[in-house]
Amino acid sequence: MNALRDEELLTSEREVIEISFPGSVDFVVIARFTAATIGARAGLDLNEIDDLRLAVDELSISFGPLDGESSLRYEFVRDGDTVTVRCTREPAPGRLSDRGHRDDAETVQSQRDLVHWQQARQLSVVLLDELVTSHGGEITDGRSVAWLMKRRGTR
Amino acid sequence: MPRGGHSPDHSDGAHGVQHGGRIDDLPVLEATGELDLAVAPWLRDQIDALFADGARSLVVDLSGATFLDSTALGVLVGAVNTSKERGGRIHLVVTEPQILRVLSITGLSGAFSLHEGRAEVLGARTER
Repeated sequence: MNALRDEELLTSEREVIEISFPGSVDFVVIARFTAATIGARAGLDLNEIDDLRLAVDELSISFGPLDGESSLRYEFVRDGDTVTVRCTREPAPGRLSDRGHRDDAETVQSQRDLVHWQQARQLSVVLLDELVTSHGGEITDGRSVAWLMKRRGTR
Repeated sequence: MPRGGHSPDHSDGAHGVQHGGRIDDLPVLEATGELDLAVAPWLRDQIDALFADGARSLVVDLSGATFLDSTALGVLVGAVNTSKERGGRIHLVVTEPQILRVLSITGLSGAFSLHEGRAEVLGARTER
């Protein structure tokens, strides 16, 4: 990317990209792809873009196992050389009643998955601490939100 | 091909986990592409199957992998724990800098026996 192009991107207006998809592990790749694109437009170098892709993937892990019933909404905001990403898990209506009964085998598998996700979550926090400028989580309007901010040149 | 299944030997060309033969007496798993939360269950199933067959140590060849997130890393950490209980170790073949960075950030580089190629695994075993 040449200097003129770089300057053009950094001084252009704020950009917002919103994507939403079913809360399935198969779709998180879409969020990573979007992260790479908006990271490039913020002037991040290739290593920083790799970090942003991984960090955006890790946001989806904040919520525990994805069940395919809820949905994930990502909001990417580029403001100059800074990218902010908010990931919201939207619960599916009637989800609890739909999943009210589980047989023993499913319960064992579910507990094993939960342990795995708890371990992944611990690793995820360590990674996010290093990959981005800041990150956190909150409850907004009853929905779980995980967010991150990455500024160019802070790797 | 859907990425969410749990087939015993899984590969869709771009992302996958499959048996990669043996190095000496060590079973090898090849994991390619982006190892994320969609691939992690397949990786875990393959590793579990090798342990169920009696393996103490494994080689996980990540030379074709370009991405590793915390869920896939967690599976590998689980393999380290199982292997340790059996007196074995997990050999990782890693060439991708971003994957090495993930191992470094999480402080887990030392948990594995890291190699730049399969030949190095054999060399490391011969030296001992």
